[in-house]
Amino acid sequence: MNRCRESKGGWCRRLRLACLGLLLGCAGWLPTPLVRGEEVGDRWGTEEREREYYPIVSIPLPTETVIESGAFAVLPDNRVAVGTRRGEIYFIDGLDAAKPQPVFRRFAEGLDEIFGLAWHDGALRVTQSCELTRVSDEDGDGVADRFDTLSDAWGYANYHEYAFGSPPDAQGNQFIALGLSESYNSYALFRGFVLQVGADGRTTAVASGLRSPGGIGPDEHGALFYIESQGPWNCSCSLKSVSAGSFQGHPASFNWYPFAPEMGEVPALPKSGTRIVTERRRVPQLTPYAVIFPYIRMGRSITGFRVNRTQGRFGPFENQLFLGDYTLSILMRATTEQINGVWQGACYPFREGLSTGILNVEFTPGGKLLCGGTNRGWPVRGIKPFALERVEWNGRMPFEIERITIEPDGFRLKFTKPVAVESAGESATYGLTAFTHPYHGGYGGPEIDRFTAEVTGVTVAEDRLSARIQVDRLKPGFVYEFDLAPLRSADGEPLLHRQAYYTVNEIPVP
Amino acid sequence: MAGRTGWPEGWFDTPCLAADAPAQDVSPLPGNHRLDQVAAGQVLLAELGCANCHSGLPAQALAPKRGPNLAEVGSRVSPEYLQRYLADPTAVHRGTSMPDVLGGRAPAERQAIATALTHFLIARGTAPFRSEVAETPDRDLGRRLYHTVGCVACHGSRDPAPQAGPQPATPRPEPAAGDQPNDAEVEDDAENADGPPTQRVFRPIALGLAHIVTKYSETSLAEFLHEPLAVRSSGRMPDLKLTTDESRALAQYLLGADPPPATRPVAPLSPDPRQVAQGERYFRELHCGNCHALPGIDAAPAVGGALQPTAASQGCLQPQAGGPVRYDLDDAQRQALVAALQHLDQAETDAEAVAKTLVAQRCIACHVRDDYGGVHPDVDPLFTTTEPNLGDEGRLPPPLTLLGAKLQPTWLKKVLFDGESVRPYLGVRMPQYGVDNLGHLPALLARTDTLPAVDWTIPSPERDSDREREREFRKAGHALLGNQGLYCIACHNFNGKEAPVNRGMELTSSYQRLQPAWFNAFLRNPQQFRPRIIMPQSWANGVASHKTILDGDTDRQIQAIWYYLSLGTSAADPPGLKGIDTRLTVGTRARIHRGRSRVAGYRGIAVGFPDQLHYAFNAETGTLSALWRGGFVSANWSGQGSGDFQPAAEPVLLAQDVSLLKRDSPADPWPLLPVMTKENRANPNPLYPKNLGYQFLGYRVDHDGVPTFRYRLGDIEVSDRSVPGGTERGAQLERRLQLESGEPQTVWFRALTGEISQPAEGVYESGRLRLTVPLPADRIQLRSIDADPPRSELLLRLELPQGTSHLELIYEPLPRK
Repeated sequence: MNRCRESKGGWCRRLRLACLGLLLGCAGWLPTPLVRGEEVGDRWGTEEREREYYPIVSIPLPTETVIESGAFAVLPDNRVAVGTRRGEIYFIDGLDAAKPQPVFRRFAEGLDEIFGLAWHDGALRVTQSCELTRVSDEDGDGVADRFDTLSDAWGYANYHEYAFGSPPDAQGNQFIALGLSESYNSYALFRGFVLQVGADGRTTAVASGLRSPGGIGPDEHGALFYIESQGPWNCSCSLKSVSAGSFQGHPASFNWYPFAPEMGEVPALPKSGTRIVTERRRVPQLTPYAVIFPYIRMGRSITGFRVNRTQGRFGPFENQLFLGDYTLSILMRATTEQINGVWQGACYPFREGLSTGILNVEFTPGGKLLCGGTNRGWPVRGIKPFALERVEWNGRMPFEIERITIEPDGFRLKFTKPVAVESAGESATYGLTAFTHPYHGGYGGPEIDRFTAEVTGVTVAEDRLSARIQVDRLKPGFVYEFDLAPLRSADGEPLLHRQAYYTVNEIPVP
Repeated sequence: MAGRTGWPEGWFDTPCLAADAPAQDVSPLPGNHRLDQVAAGQVLLAELGCANCHSGLPAQALAPKRGPNLAEVGSRVSPEYLQRYLADPTAVHRGTSMPDVLGGRAPAERQAIATALTHFLIARGTAPFRSEVAETPDRDLGRRLYHTVGCVACHGSRDPAPQAGPQPATPRPEPAAGDQPNDAEVEDDAENADGPPTQRVFRPIALGLAHIVTKYSETSLAEFLHEPLAVRSSGRMPDLKLTTDESRALAQYLLGADPPPATRPVAPLSPDPRQVAQGERYFRELHCGNCHALPGIDAAPAVGGALQPTAASQGCLQPQAGGPVRYDLDDAQRQALVAALQHLDQAETDAEAVAKTLVAQRCIACHVRDDYGGVHPDVDPLFTTTEPNLGDEGRLPPPLTLLGAKLQPTWLKKVLFDGESVRPYLGVRMPQYGVDNLGHLPALLARTDTLPAVDWTIPSPERDSDREREREFRKAGHALLGNQGLYCIACHNFNGKEAPVNRGMELTSSYQRLQPAWFNAFLRNPQQFRPRIIMPQSWANGVASHKTILDGDTDRQIQAIWYYLSLGTSAADPPGLKGIDTRLTVGTRARIHRGRSRVAGYRGIAVGFPDQLHYAFNAETGTLSALWRGGFVSANWSGQGSGDFQPAAEPVLLAQDVSLLKRDSPADPWPLLPVMTKENRANPNPLYPKNLGYQFLGYRVDHDGVPTFRYRLGDIEVSDRSVPGGTERGAQLERRLQLESGEPQTVWFRALTGEISQPAEGVYESGRLRLTVPLPADRIQLRSIDADPPRSELLLRLELPQGTSHLELIYEPLPRK
């Protein structure tokens, strides 16, 4: 990771092609900008150790088509549906077999780039670029024959106007995250908004200020989050909380407030070149990044996520978010907590070495993590044009930071295995630095105001599965970067991933 | 037991020696292995699983082989076979490495023990053996698979004559006239002894399969072939990546059409409790659990005691029958084992460990490494390719020489353990042996295989000083790979796109697979690594053949290519690569494709018919906006393409404004799509045409794939369906709108725009379109929009009753004038 740190100064040149949202395309038809080759950044270097715990199994794909997975859904009969960039939906049977030879059955075709899929009320809810559609099979022959438009209440008229759909909530509402026009502006209605679509299709606005979303859905607590890409007003990719009337930081979409009275007043225009922690006070609707994924170290264009509810079948990280990165072909974890009414949390490296750019993930009924995507159009480290892969836990317990939560005077770190008290009890074990980003309209941005936080006290729990650390400086608006290189487990093992990154928005009151 | 002459079908297959052949020339192991006697003996120690019962064995990387897992042997193996086999293993399966552990017992006792063990093992299983056969076996597929995917490398061809296939690029030495394959000796020609490995004459690995016909059912053999490691964890029978269908077909082929009547169908055996108890006792007494996994039975370590250096064949190794445990070995094998036992303290070098592993797992049956290994000439013609122009490189598995210096460690593991492969043109498959059996190999290879490191500094965006070099290298790499440079992409696929000449190995994975030192050495002299490779030498003697790019500097050119490949799949296509054809075709049913299009807007839908007449529908405005004859559409899925479509033939275009409207003031102009300009890109009327009452509702698809679009205008629901019609196939499109209205009311339909003429009653033409409107003249308004050039619009007044009414229109594309 040292080399990554050295790379900080290079952000302004690297940013040109990174996230799904960053190519300035021509405004006309058939915008296919030339892909300029680009280095995608260093590796974590942990792939060989990761495979000892979480092997990757390649899923054989049908040869007659191209499965560029954009969205997944688990069906009531335990098959898994995959929706593709090429507008097909397949139902897959047999994904969990030890040696998978799954059967792919095409349910629908001819749709427009699918980035949301959910089974609800006897039909598939399909988020296409053009609309949210209820797709069903009325005659029961296994092939869709009815396509009902639930909502097309947004403009779709420019390059890069992707739409991402959440799973339905308990009331059947779905949330659609709408990327900006050409990823920079908002020329068509509600580009840069999150819309809520009720079970009856009634559509209302929920949030503004999005730039280039990569996924949307509930976190482990059932709260709504979306994935934002690095770019203007976003120096890194991040996970952001979506609440009614919230403004997510990019002001291009303010022009549509007259069409969304439910959003209330137009927020004050944010000032470029400030810090989000200060602008939040001035612009009450502004929602801070809940979990910042430091650029390149933790992805360059993070994408769709799912909560691990596998009841231990996927190993030690129950109830955590898992998500992929398109550019780096990696998987990461994230945890969230609400402090003083504001969401924040941490992200952790999980697995590198996937074969293609990851667009979405899904847990199979057997508790394995299905990952898929494509390398088409943007730089990707993975070497396959498209792939479907299954990451599975082999039952061996990795030594990992399970979760970091904040305390009034520091952090609590949970581990997956008992730690050696000699190393865990030492303050020097906890390398801790903090940085923040400027909040500005420029593309991407540096990590600034970096300081080393001193660990002033450590208490290792009796079960040796967690440690509380006291820190001399806890500052809202900063990302705390943990490096626990010296830490050893009780059996002498170093951490599989020694880094983790906690975004502090609020500090709990004792 | 009498009459056995070794293991003629086995691993340790002893050739039927010519009478005058000197015994010391006979290798204890088949294949082109080059192990000396001690090393061969050490391989045998592992193959026979000696360490499963004995301590004191020499330390070696090769783990002792385990027997099959017996947990479900009762459903996998016929009870009749099981009983017979246990009574006399080598008589029933020539070549088995299972020892006869009943040596010295009377025939009746052997039978009794075998029967009890059979009852015990069947009782331990959860399902009985079923000998059903498929009604429609696919033995042809099985036969093809057997002779293609790699079975022949270890089991030999089962066809009388080799399959027709591409001949080796270089003629192979033929065995001497009259020789049978088994007559070949290890090194019968001193002149050949030091030649390239493929020119040496050696004994093929030919594991017999005669026993399986009475052993397995189609189902159990298919299951075994599908996941052999689940039963035989030592991986000597590797996983050949067969699908379930392939496994079944192969099983059907291997078991043949005519099961021996004496053995099939097999009567199920109901375990007798007394026999089961007796069997369990025998199982424990005989220490079967030392080699075989069976739940609840533990191994008894070192039950056979420590092995001692021994001068003569004793104990398990004694040649004559009578000892308690007897392996059926020939003299050469016995001598090799004795030699190994005499060198128990001899430390194993890494190179020896690699060689012994490659021999034991039979990697040498397909791969050459250094001076050993390689495909036996008997089966060489069965190694096939889909790219014959690539020569042997296209049909034979790659050499393993310097493998540890060639592949990145992570990639080597992906190949060995994750089933990755990059040579889709090979008929033979790289099988999987399991991490338990080859897990030690990557580290060994990393130590044995080294090349001088290259001192390359690839341009990095992290360093500002590199910016110029980065640009230069990127440009040079792009040019060198393309058709104005070295034209590498003539024979290498690039980023999923096929090479125009030969579809050789994908280039964009190179950086992740290969180590730079190997890449450097290989590019400088490919023939040094692969003597018969068709890849040209572009830097012969270090001199670049391309003189202009990077001034013909060899080092910089090779580095530029490496740098370019480091960009992976994000590297731009080098010049000369074919694009991906994404023309969509229509089969026997109609086809729908949604996507943005200049002919139908962003919410466009193309509908294709088998009749070769197609149309586009703008769902944002509820308008049929284009129709054309010929091919359907091409969809843009290159680069970031979102599947936007273009008609495959020149379309007839119609207006894309909303076409159904309630009008309070019929004199007002028709409301048109909002216009965005370069200066004002934001939509000035973002609710159009929803603010005119229009809402798209979706579509239904019938059994012929034909969509009926549904939309609403206020309280009016419209179903809109178009199909090809007319006397001539695909001559015209017949469109039928069904309108449901809750009350009688008037709505307007804008049917046509442009320079409209009226050649006949109810027939209108504009450009290349003829529209037939079966409405009385007083319902049709032809209204001028512009005078210069003259443009008008054809408006239809629809007087809707309460309930259902219809509007039928016929669109006919006209030939170009």
